[in-house]
Amino acid sequence: MHKKSMQGHKTGGFLSRLFKIKLLAGLWTGKLLLIITRLSGRGGTTLPGRIAQKIEPKLTSYLASLLPSGTLLITGTNGKTTTSALLSSILKEAGYRCINNQSGSNLSWGIASSLVAETSLSGHLREDMAVMEVDEGALPGVTGSMKPRGITITNIFRDQLDRYGEVDHVLQKIKTGLDLQPQDGFEVINADDPSLTGIQAGQHKKRWLYGLELDLPEDTFENTGRDMKACPHCKEELQYEKLFYAHLGHYGCHSCGYKRPKPDIRLMKASESVNGVTALQIELPGETAEIKFPLPGTYNFYNLLAAVATAKALDIPTTLITSALEKSVPSFGRMEFFEAGGKTIIIALIKNPVGANEVIRTILNQSDKVNLLVAINDKIADGTDVSWLWDVDFEQLGLVKDSFSGLYASGLRAWDMAVRFKYAGFDPGQVSIEENTEKAVRSALEVTPPGSKLFILPSYTAMLEIRRTLNKMGLGKPYWEE
Amino acid sequence: MAGIKIYHLYPDHLNLYGDRGNMIALCRRAEWHNISIEVVPVRPGDKMAFSQCDLLFMGGGQDSDQQMVAEDLKKRSSELSSAVEDGMVIFAVCGSYQLLGSHYITGSGEKIGGLELINLYTEAGTKRLIGNAVINCSLWYPTKTLVGFENHAGKTYLGPGLKPLGQVMIGHGNNGTDKTEGAVYKNVIGTYLHGSLLPKNPWLTDFLLEKALAYRGQDFIPANLDDSLEEQAHNAFIKLAGSKKHKRMSTRA
Repeated sequence: MHKKSMQGHKTGGFLSRLFKIKLLAGLWTGKLLLIITRLSGRGGTTLPGRIAQKIEPKLTSYLASLLPSGTLLITGTNGKTTTSALLSSILKEAGYRCINNQSGSNLSWGIASSLVAETSLSGHLREDMAVMEVDEGALPGVTGSMKPRGITITNIFRDQLDRYGEVDHVLQKIKTGLDLQPQDGFEVINADDPSLTGIQAGQHKKRWLYGLELDLPEDTFENTGRDMKACPHCKEELQYEKLFYAHLGHYGCHSCGYKRPKPDIRLMKASESVNGVTALQIELPGETAEIKFPLPGTYNFYNLLAAVATAKALDIPTTLITSALEKSVPSFGRMEFFEAGGKTIIIALIKNPVGANEVIRTILNQSDKVNLLVAINDKIADGTDVSWLWDVDFEQLGLVKDSFSGLYASGLRAWDMAVRFKYAGFDPGQVSIEENTEKAVRSALEVTPPGSKLFILPSYTAMLEIRRTLNKMGLGKPYWEE
Repeated sequence: MAGIKIYHLYPDHLNLYGDRGNMIALCRRAEWHNISIEVVPVRPGDKMAFSQCDLLFMGGGQDSDQQMVAEDLKKRSSELSSAVEDGMVIFAVCGSYQLLGSHYITGSGEKIGGLELINLYTEAGTKRLIGNAVINCSLWYPTKTLVGFENHAGKTYLGPGLKPLGQVMIGHGNNGTDKTEGAVYKNVIGTYLHGSLLPKNPWLTDFLLEKALAYRGQDFIPANLDDSLEEQAHNAFIKLAGSKKHKRMSTRA
C-alpha cells in the first residue's frame, strides 16, 4: 500500500529540516506525556496533544496528510461516539486500519493526542484512515487542519449553553466547518433534522441523507428544545406528519413549502426487539438490507443509519456493512453493561435533555424494579451550568416512583439532583444523597438485589470517576486499553 | 381554595436556561400550599388580557428569538405598564430582564428600545459574565441569600431610585462592577440568575406566589412544608460557589 512518511514532505532544505526537528520534538514530547498520564492512572487525553501541537502547530495537519484513505469526521450533539464506533467497525470489516479518538478528546488537542499515540517515533503512521468524532464547536478548526474526505452530522439539540452559547451559534460552527471542507469531499446528514437539512449544500459536494420511515408512538415527553422546530428558511413553525423525538421527524413548512428531503438511506421497518436485538430493514440505493442490530433505542437507529450512509459514501459493500453492524457493542458509557455477582450495572451517560430523555425511555421499558443512581458533576467537560437537569423530563420517572428499589443522587451537584427528584414527584425520603461517586456506587450496588439492575446515569466526568471505581472492583478495563 | 393565574410568556421561545425549572417550582409549591394554579402559555400574536393575569413569567431566549419577542411585546407595552403599576407580579430572567428596561445598546452602538417598565438599561459587554452566583437579597428582613448561575454578555445599569434584587456576594451580578444583581420595582422582579433559580430558593418562589395572591385579593396561608432538602441544597451550593478548589475544577478541563 502507498505509504507516505516524513521523507515525503515537500519543502526542501533548512525549513524542511527545521520542520522535521520540531515535528519529532512535538511527537516525542507528546508520546512521553501520554505514557506519564497513563501511568498516573488517568489516561490523559488532551495534554499530550496540546503540548505537541504547541511545539509544532502543523502537527495535526501533517499527520492527517499521511493517511492514504483520508479522514472522516463525525459531529453533532448526540450520537457522535456510537456513530464513530459503528463506522469504525464497518471500516475494519472492510480491511481498513483506522485511528479513532475517545469522546473525551474530541476537541483539537484531544484529536492531536490520538494521532500522536498512533504515530511511530520516526513519524510514520501504519493506519489508512482516521475516524474522529469532533465537538461541534471544534469542527471548523479540525476541518481546517485535517481536510476531511467526509463529514457526518448526527443532529443538533440544545446542549451545554455555558460552553457553546446558543443553538444558533452551534449551527453556525457546523456551517463554517462544512464550508472549510475540500470541495471534492462528501457530507452525510440526518434528513429528519430540519436544522441540518436547512444548511445549503456545497456546490460540488455529494450530500448523503438518511432518515426513518417508521411508525413510532408519538413522543409524549416534555421537550423544552422546541426552538428547533422553526422552518430553517422562513422561521414559521414547521408542521410534523411524524415526530419521532425532540424535533426529529417528517416535517414540512406550510408557509414557504420547505419539506424534508427524501433520504438516500431509509430505515423502513424495525421489529419488536428480542433480547435487545432488533431486526431492521434498510433501503439503500438499489437494494434492501436486513440487519439484526444489538443496540437499543430509536437514537441508536439514527446512529446506525449515519454509519451506513457514510460507509455507502465510501462505496463499501452492503454485506460487509451488515456483518459488522450485527456485531455492535455499546460504546464507552453509552448503555454499557457490567456484570457483578449476578447484578447488572448499566452506565448511560447523560449530558443534555434530549439524550437524557432517551435514556429515561429505556428505563421506563424495564419490567422489573430497578435501582437508579444519577451522578452530576459540574466541571468544564460536564457543563458548569446544571440548569439543563430541569429540562430533562424526570417527571416521567416520578410518575412511576414505586418502580425503583433505590434512588441515589451523587456527584458535585448531588444536592441539585436530589431537589430535581423531589420536584419530579419522588418522595424526598426515597433519595439517598452521597456526593462521593465511589461511595455512592459501592452502596447502591450493595443494596441492588441479585438478578436486578442498577442504572447509573452520570455526567461526563462523573462517568470517568465511576468507571475508575468499577475498574478497581475488577469490572471493565481502563478506557485507554480498550 | 385560593387560586392564581400564571401567564407563561412564549414558552417555545423563552426557555433557554432551565426556565422550565422555574415553572415546575411555581406549580409544585402552589400545589403543596393548596393554591390552585392555572398556567396559560402565551404564544406570539395570541390575544392576551393582562387583566386576567396575576403572575407573568418571562424566561431567557436566544438572541434571534429575543427580537421577535420584543417586537410582539412592545405592541402591548401600555397595557403591561398599567398592570405593573397596579401590582401585577412579573418574574423575568436574563434576556427578558433586560427587555423590561428602557433600552439595550448593542456592540456597534445601536440603541434598541425596551418595554420601559422599569428604569434600567443594558449595554453589550465584550466578555460574557458566567458562573455560580450568590446574592444577599433584601426582599426579607433579616435578609436571605439567593443562589443561581449567571451567563450574560449584557451589562445592566439601574437608574436612580431602582432597587437591586440583591448585593453580590459571589459572582458578577448586573454588570460586574457595582455589586448589584437584578432589580425590584413594585412586584416586578428581574434577575440574571437561573440554574434553575426557584427550586433552590424556595422562599423566593413562595414570595412570588404570595404577591400574586395579594394582587388577586387573597391571603397566602402557607402550608407547613418541609423545605430541609431545598435548604441543604441551597447551603451546599453556597459552599461550592465559595470553594477555590471547585472554581479550579470548573474553569479548567
